[in-house]
This record gives sequence, structure tokens and C-alpha cells, in this order.
Amino acid sequence: MEGLCCGPGYASPSEAIRAPSEKLLYTIAIYTGTGIQKPDYLATVDVDPNSENYSKVIHRLEMPGIGDELHHMGWNACSSCHDDNSMSRKYLIVPGVRSNNIYVVDTATNPKAPNLYKVIQGSEIKSKTNLSGPHTVHCLGSEIIISFLGDAKGEAPGGYLHLNKDFEIIGRWENSMGDIPFSYDFWYQPRHNVMVSSEWAAPNTFMPGFDLEEVGHLKYGRRIHIWDFKKKKPIQTMYLGEDGLIPLEVKFLHNPNSSHGFCGAALSANVIHFWKSENGNWEWEKIIDIDNEPHSDWPIPIPGVMSALLVSMDDKYLYINNWLHGDMRQYNITDPHKPVLTGQVWMGGLLGKAPIVNGVKVAGGPQMYQLSLDGKRMYVTTSLFSTWDNQFYPEIRTKGGVMLMIDCDVENGGMKINNDFVVNFGDEPNGPSRCHESRYPGGDCTSDIWL
Amino acid sequence: MKKITIANRNNSTYEVKGNRPLLLELRALGLDLPYGCQYGGCITCAAKLIKGKVDQKSQVALNNRQINDGYVILCVARAKSNCTFDIGVESHDKLYRNPFIDPLAPHELKSDIATFTEIKDD
Repeated sequence: MEGLCCGPGYASPSEAIRAPSEKLLYTIAIYTGTGIQKPDYLATVDVDPNSENYSKVIHRLEMPGIGDELHHMGWNACSSCHDDNSMSRKYLIVPGVRSNNIYVVDTATNPKAPNLYKVIQGSEIKSKTNLSGPHTVHCLGSEIIISFLGDAKGEAPGGYLHLNKDFEIIGRWENSMGDIPFSYDFWYQPRHNVMVSSEWAAPNTFMPGFDLEEVGHLKYGRRIHIWDFKKKKPIQTMYLGEDGLIPLEVKFLHNPNSSHGFCGAALSANVIHFWKSENGNWEWEKIIDIDNEPHSDWPIPIPGVMSALLVSMDDKYLYINNWLHGDMRQYNITDPHKPVLTGQVWMGGLLGKAPIVNGVKVAGGPQMYQLSLDGKRMYVTTSLFSTWDNQFYPEIRTKGGVMLMIDCDVENGGMKINNDFVVNFGDEPNGPSRCHESRYPGGDCTSDIWL
Repeated sequence: MKKITIANRNNSTYEVKGNRPLLLELRALGLDLPYGCQYGGCITCAAKLIKGKVDQKSQVALNNRQINDGYVILCVARAKSNCTFDIGVESHDKLYRNPFIDPLAPHELKSDIATFTEIKDD
């Protein structure tokens, strides 16, 4: 599936768009926090419409023990080392947020049935780097950095773990955290020598669950940070205030020449657009503001909880979710200052707009999603994080998570839930599990960065 | 030795020394318990103390309401007397609450931010 001449990935975003369609995807599924005493696992889902197993889990790679809370993951290599034919996109790096363990999974030897290649013990990471609470994984060239949200005791701001291509701990990646109070997601854009990072909270704050009062006590983030990527230190902070409460996922456009990027502020349910101005300073503006929605059982209107965000490979569409409302939205961002709503679908959520989709009662709401390289197929899962699920969607414990697919119209805009695809993780052999982030073996819209 | 009774496992009993976290002591005796971070920060191993005393000074996950409701973080808590617990998610009826529908009072927050007197607005 990869480019023919070189290393992993593609020469450019436009080449990536022309790649063959995905036939498999991997998603993590958790039992941590569900009451089922089984390990979390990496599920292989068959997404080949011509396969007899289409829309089914065809393999489950269990982790060695219980209690990891697998969450996000990333590849050992991407288009950032497309010129290096000694590298290949072979290993998926899968951290456990609670255990601090990092699992390296070989997906190439048998793509349908990946196997565990290496475990980096959480205790080793703590003792060598004083980090805990791993989240986002990016490769940079042949090496790997992973954001961690806390120190070894679970206190903010955490930092960045640096691994070499053999998955050995080099140490901390950053030279300084500056004044950064919290960590979460990050993305980099090498041609501008820039990295951007966002803020969730300390592991000791978010892991036990969400309390609104802790936002007022400044236990949750409201800033995004611009880094000098080569010097490995933060150089500018953008204070978002009430417009940017809990800024989570952060992405640049895929075009490596662009400095435009977006961050979803989960609690404010706003999209923040940022870019480098002509004088070299970074600026930001709020471009999307999702209204809170009234609900008869709630004393205050329900915030959207925009927990994720994604840009199509052609940089034409921005996708957002409102986990508590239950909708996914597509915006045309041809002009990134003026997004235009072009699509919307509903699945689950607290507003009761689509309680049953494709015959499955949806517990939770649209939460994590991954988009095919051609921009036409978006796979969406419904669980956020075990403790937060348990607070807002307690029925997910018995119903489990769901994966659905949305057909996206890349020409005219528009979204439609595909009626032939549904993976009900409530029916898993060991009982209801909850699926979260997905990755495709040949690349997807959140795996590749171009140098 | 301290006798630990698990009420929601047919009142099964275990003898522990009380010098190590209950999670380690009980798992070593064959009791299958959930856990996550193993340092008192993540709530996955919470159990409900029905009777007895524990020392869980090093936990940082519970707010004061959860503590008042009897929740104990087994990965750091040590038994100080004979204890009776409910374990697992069946014991979590009061552990998880919708924070918008049922907010915490100032004295119910985590200990580092809880306040025990009303601050009046001028």
C-alpha cells in the first residue's frame, strides 16, 4: 500500500490521497474501568467491502495484563521518513494511560493478526524520565516522541518521551517545558520549525473523572503553546480564556508549507484557528462556537464536549464531534478564517436525536474518528475515557462501544451514516468493551507529517 | 493480622498483615481485583469500605464526597483494623456522578482545593 520506491508513507499529501483504499483498521478496545477483569486489546476490523468478514472484528491482540486503559497510538514511521528506504511503517506504538506501559505491536508480519513485539515497562519510563500518563505518539523522521501528561506521581505538566527507532528510551525530548502548566496533544510542521501543544489536565485530575469545579480551580487547561521545534522549547503561549476551556486535539493542515492549524476546545465547544502572521508571531481566533443545548434533566444547558478534531488530507474539510450532544460535523475550511458547515450526522448523545443507529442502541456519542486518505470514509467510535464514560453514559458499561462509518462527500460536502457498516463492541466474546482511536496500516489523516 | 471480608463476594474472608497496600495483599491471596495506575491516582481500583479503618493518606484520586461515601483506593490503602468491603464496579454506585446534574459543594472537592467555610460575595 505504501509508495513503491522509497520508505514509508507518501511523497506528498496529494500522493497519499491517491493511495489504495484501506482494507483493515486497528482500534484499541478497553476493559479497564468496565468491571470485566480482562486485558485491553488491539482489535483488527475488516473494512474491505468485498470481504465476507466486512464490518467485523477479525482479531484481538490482548495486552499482557489488566488496567492499561489503551487510548491513543501512533506509528513508528510515517511520510516524515519517506526518503529513508531502511524504514517501514511496521510497528504501532500503543501506550496505556493508567499503567504507563508502552506496547510496540508488529502489524506487518501478519497485518490481520498483529503480534506484540516489545513492552516498555511503565516503571522503567518513570524511573528514567519521571513521566506518566502517555497520550499522543508521533514519529519524527526515524525517531519517536510521546507526550505525557504528568510526572511519575501524576502531577502536571509532564513532558515528552524520546524513543529511538529500536524503541529504546533516549530520555526526555524537550529541553524545557517553559511555563507550560499542562500537556496533552501535539503536532509539528517542520518547514516552519514549529510544534504546537495543547492542555488537558494532570493525570491525578482527569483520570478519576471530571468535576466542573476543578475547571474553576484552574485544574484544567485553557492555553495552546507554540514551540521552537529544533530548540525543543516553548516560545509563545496563546491564552484562550473562556473561549478555550480544555483545548484538546490540535492539528496543522497537511500541506507542509502551511502554518494554519486548529484546536478543539472541548468544554467551550469551540474551534480555535491559529496561524503564523507576517511578523512571525502566532495569532489565534475562534472560528466555530457550538451552542450549549438545553435538556430537561440538566440544570444548565449541555456543552458539546468537542473532544476531537480532524482535517482531511486535501485540507478542504475540518471534522469535529460533540460527544455529549451526539453529532459529527463537517466544515469546508477553504478559507480557514471562515468555515462553512457542509455536513452533520447524529449518533447516540444525550439529546436523543439518534438513539439507535443501524440497529444498535448507541451508548455514548461520537468521540474518536479516523478518515481514509481519500477523505470518503470516516470511522467513528463512541467511548471517551473509562471514568468519564461512567459519569456521562453509565449504560455504556453493559452496552459497550460502537464503531460506525460515515460516507463523506468530498466534492460537494455532506455526510451520511453508511447503513452497511456497524461494529458493536457490546457483542465482544469477553463482554462489552469500548473502542477508541483507530489507525489504518497504509496511513490515514492523523498519522503522516511531511518534512 | 487483619481479617478482610468481601461482602459482595459471598462474605469471603482474607487474612492480611496491613503493612502493604490492600490491592497487593488481596491479589496475592487470589482475589481478582481491578486496578490501573497503582499509585493512588486513577480510581480504577476503588472499593467501598463498609466497616473498619484504613490508611489511604497517599491517594490523590478521591474527592471528599467520595471519601465520605466510604470509597477507598486499594492500591495504596493499608488495613488498620478488620475491614468489610464491597469491591468492583458493583460498589461504584456513588463513585461516578454526572458533575453538571450533581455538582460538588466547596467542602466536597479534593482535599487540595476544598474549602470548609462559605466565601460570601461582596
